[in-house]
Amino acid sequence: MNPEPFLQLDRVIHEKGRLAIMSMLAASPELSFTELRDALTMTDGNLTTHIRALQQEGYVAVAKSYQNNRPLTTCSLTPTGRKAFAEYINLLEQIIRQTKK
Amino acid sequence: MESNWAVEHLQTIRTLMERSAIYRRALAPIMLFVGALGLAGGVAGVALRVESMHAFGLFWLGIAAAAVIGAFLLARRQALKERETFWSPPTRRVAQALLPALFCGLCMSLVLVLVDDDDLLPLFVILCILFYGCSLHAAGFFMPRGMKLFAWGLIGGGLLLLIWAAQDPAAPAHTGHLLMGFFFGLLHLAYGAYLYLTEKRKTAA
Repeated sequence: MNPEPFLQLDRVIHEKGRLAIMSMLAASPELSFTELRDALTMTDGNLTTHIRALQQEGYVAVAKSYQNNRPLTTCSLTPTGRKAFAEYINLLEQIIRQTKK
Repeated sequence: MESNWAVEHLQTIRTLMERSAIYRRALAPIMLFVGALGLAGGVAGVALRVESMHAFGLFWLGIAAAAVIGAFLLARRQALKERETFWSPPTRRVAQALLPALFCGLCMSLVLVLVDDDDLLPLFVILCILFYGCSLHAAGFFMPRGMKLFAWGLIGGGLLLLIWAAQDPAAPAHTGHLLMGFFFGLLHLAYGAYLYLTEKRKTAA
C-alpha cells in the first residue's frame, strides 16, 4: 500500500477536536462560539485553544460583534481552511480506495 | 485497518457536518404565519360555535393542514429567493424528525374525530399539543436551541392540561378553541416575534 496519502494528511486538521470544528464550520457559513461549544460538548478553554490553532494556520476566521448588548464571537472557515478541509477529505477517500484495491 | 479508520473519520465528519447544517430557513415567518392562523382559528372556532367533537376535530385538522401547506410554501419561497436547494439535507432531516410524532398525532386525532364523543374533546386538544411539542423537539436538534425550549414549553403545557382535564373532564368546546388559540396561536406569535427580532439584530451586528 502506498503510504503517501496518509503522510500528506494535514496534522493541524487531523487532531480530533480541530477536525470536529472544521467539519461543523464546513457545513455552515458561520457558527457562534457557543453553538460550537454546545454541539461539540467542549469546554470554553479547549475550544479556544483549538480555534486559536486553526486561526494561526489561517483556516478559521473569528469575528467579534455584539448581540443584545452581549459580545458575540462567530467563527467561519477561510478560503484556505475550506481548501485544506477539502484536501483532507480527498486524502481520506484516497486511503479508503487504496485499501479496497 | 487504515481503511476502517478512514471510513470512521469520514462518517464522523459527515455526522458533524449534518448536525452543523442548522435549519434556519424562514423560521420566524413560519412561526408568525402559524401563530396568526392558530389565533384566527381559536377566535373563529368560538365565534362560529364549532362545538361537536367531529366538527371541532375537522376544523382544527383543516387549520393544521393549512399551516403545513403555508409553512411549506414560505420555506420554498425563501429557498427560491436565495437560490438555494429547497429539499436540502437539513430540510430532509427536519422533515424526517417532525414526521413520526406528527403522524401519530394525526392518527390519534382522526380516531377521536371518528369516535365523535364530545367528552373526548379535551383529550383531542391535549394530544394535539403534546404530539406537536414532541415533533418540534425532535426537529429542534437541527434548529436553533430556542426551538427545543419552545417544544418543552408546549409539552409542559400539554401535561398541565392533562392534569387539569383529569380533574375537570367536561370542559366546554369554547375552552378547547381558546386553548388551541393560545398554544397554536399566541405562543407561536410570541416565538415568531422573538425570532424575527433576534435574527434582525444578528444581521445588524
